Amino acid sequence: MTLVMVVDDDQDLAEMLSIVLNGAGIDVDLVSRGDEVMEVFRNNPPDLILLDVMLPGIDGIEVCRQIRQESMVPIVMLSAKGDSQDVVRGLEAGADDYMVKPFRHPSELIARIRTRLRRTNADVTALLRIGDLSIDVTGHEVLRADSKIALTRLEFDLLVALAKEPGRVFTREALLGEVWGYRHSTDTRLVNVHVQRLRSKIEHDPEKPEIVMTVRGVGYKAGVTVGS
Amino acid sequence: MNRFFFTFKNSLAAKVIVSTVLLSFGVVWLTGSALYSQLSSGVREVNLETSLAEARSSFFNAQYQFLLVQDKSVESIAQEVTAVIKTATEIGVNQGRKEVILARLKDDLANLPKYSPNIFDMSSEGISLDVVPKDLRESLRKADDVQYRYVTFEANSGIVRESLIIGRKILIPKSGSYEMYLVYSLTNQRTTLELIFNSLLFTGLILVFLIGLITWLVVRQVARPVREAARIALQFTKGDFSQRLEITSSDELGKLSSAFNEMAISLESQISRLENLSRVQQRFVSDVSHELRTPLTTLRMASEVIYSQRNSFDATIARSAELLSLQLDRFEQLLEDLLEISRFDAQVAVLDTVDFDLIPLIERCIEDVGTTGNDHPIQIVLDPEIEHVVIKADIRRVERIMRNLLSNALDHAGGKPVKVTIVETVTEIGIGVRDYGSGMDNAALTRVFDRFWRADPSRSRVRGGTGLGLSIALEDARLHNGELDAWGRPEKGAHFVLTLPKVAGDQIASRPLRVEPTDI
Repeated sequence: MTLVMVVDDDQDLAEMLSIVLNGAGIDVDLVSRGDEVMEVFRNNPPDLILLDVMLPGIDGIEVCRQIRQESMVPIVMLSAKGDSQDVVRGLEAGADDYMVKPFRHPSELIARIRTRLRRTNADVTALLRIGDLSIDVTGHEVLRADSKIALTRLEFDLLVALAKEPGRVFTREALLGEVWGYRHSTDTRLVNVHVQRLRSKIEHDPEKPEIVMTVRGVGYKAGVTVGS
Repeated sequence: MNRFFFTFKNSLAAKVIVSTVLLSFGVVWLTGSALYSQLSSGVREVNLETSLAEARSSFFNAQYQFLLVQDKSVESIAQEVTAVIKTATEIGVNQGRKEVILARLKDDLANLPKYSPNIFDMSSEGISLDVVPKDLRESLRKADDVQYRYVTFEANSGIVRESLIIGRKILIPKSGSYEMYLVYSLTNQRTTLELIFNSLLFTGLILVFLIGLITWLVVRQVARPVREAARIALQFTKGDFSQRLEITSSDELGKLSSAFNEMAISLESQISRLENLSRVQQRFVSDVSHELRTPLTTLRMASEVIYSQRNSFDATIARSAELLSLQLDRFEQLLEDLLEISRFDAQVAVLDTVDFDLIPLIERCIEDVGTTGNDHPIQIVLDPEIEHVVIKADIRRVERIMRNLLSNALDHAGGKPVKVTIVETVTEIGIGVRDYGSGMDNAALTRVFDRFWRADPSRSRVRGGTGLGLSIALEDARLHNGELDAWGRPEKGAHFVLTLPKVAGDQIASRPLRVEPTDI
């Protein structure tokens, strides 16, 4: 069974979240303090973490940074603030997605969690090549000259989405649908931040990207595969 | 020239200096002229008196010499005449050059025919009897004393000479009565008068210049604090209250400066008090909104759980669950809007710009807004040239503006279609949303962007808007350096026009789309 760690200091909200998640067939581990997260995480690694930004102990953004040092587990930030800076800070700390309280539809939360947990890209070729990278889709690995590059699952999905149709220009909205499972969303910050993070890991020079290229005014596309 | 007038019009110092200099120039001119005329008449008078005295002595001397030779021969007399004339020209070195003219009286010649051959008419070199005016000769004939005239004549050399001619009757033995004229050159007097005139002119000009200089110094002393006060007041209008006037004296200017400084201090404290108050208020609103969100999230989920089970409840509880869910929607929207407004008020709203195509965004907004309510048709009128409009803006905010304008239009359209127009220029885009519903009067127009203002309070809230939509739309537009204009006429509908720079933050130079609709 799927296990989700819910980190929130509001007991009632945490309990309500467990009711909703349990109803969807998901097990829940409740943590109420930021400084308790790492211990629980190590003892009982979850499949996904729902992480509030404002926490007693250490704040959610710092918790996110600590988890990222150890694990590529999907992290969805819960924020009571919709301000750009908070959202961007959370995403830059390594969160895959975020939800602003109050959630418009609790079912949306479930949908997001499921998107983050699904085993993606079963329909794609097992091995993709983009730039000087080779992507092992089934093995969930990205290699450059036999050395492995560690990507979060979301970054991996983003790269695969672009690489499986080289040359196609993806709008940010299309990527939000493809990778995050959003419909009708224009929250392009999510895409921008993750593209930046992905580039910092896979590009030789993130300032002059050759693998994930920007198409001005439209979106992104995968760069040309280097013949080998 | 224009610049000069500008300086004159705008500088107190320049005005005072120019008028002082002009006035003192007039005064100096008047006193100078009076002084000059008095001095010159004095000089003439003294000159005349000296000349007359000297002439008298010359005439007396001549007469005396002639008396001494009255019994001598005609030759001796002729010699004496020459000597007398020579002496007369020599006397009076201080008077400068002097000429002598001797001419026998005509009527006397008739009386004494026996002396007719002995005529000693003669004159100094370069001068003749022609220069003596007729009236002088006339009066000389009748009078026994000396007579004089001022004359101006052209000498043989062609030089115009001003002279004083003094004449007297002289009796020459064995010849008769003669007119004897002494011609005094006035060159020296002229030179003296010119000297006086020049000194007066020079002194006058120096005086005017000095007066101007003194005025400038004095005015500067007065104008400097005034100018300084103006400069600091200008800083105040820019929001900088830190500057103060320097108090250097205890006179009226010092009092002005200290009063000015007190005003600045009072203004500063008032403003910071107000700022503080509004900051506290904004902070409070923001905190309240944030604190409300967590319980609202719980509420929302609980309501959702109940709502999803409503089919298993009896009718009243099921309806209650529905109402609960609907009202939570509204409550949530209100909270969102309040939070957004508090961000604008606290000036922490930031633009998150990205390049995107406006047309699909607007089409999507129309689709969403059109399907959530009653299905009024929305007609899109594009500038025929336009297929794509790529702008750099905050896509979330532009979408929110469009949704607000569209749902507002649908709310008031009264079932008639809503028209969307898009016009583009090189640097701006204009998007118009036109409805043909109940419209607005001018009073409503001035308040249409006010918070929580509703066109008609008695109207039912068809779509459950929060009353903040248009205020937020306006703030969103202005955050882009764009503008949102409204037009309305009762029963003619309304027209809202959003103007955005193609690159957010640029200035908009014009409105590509006029807010007054062309279809009325």
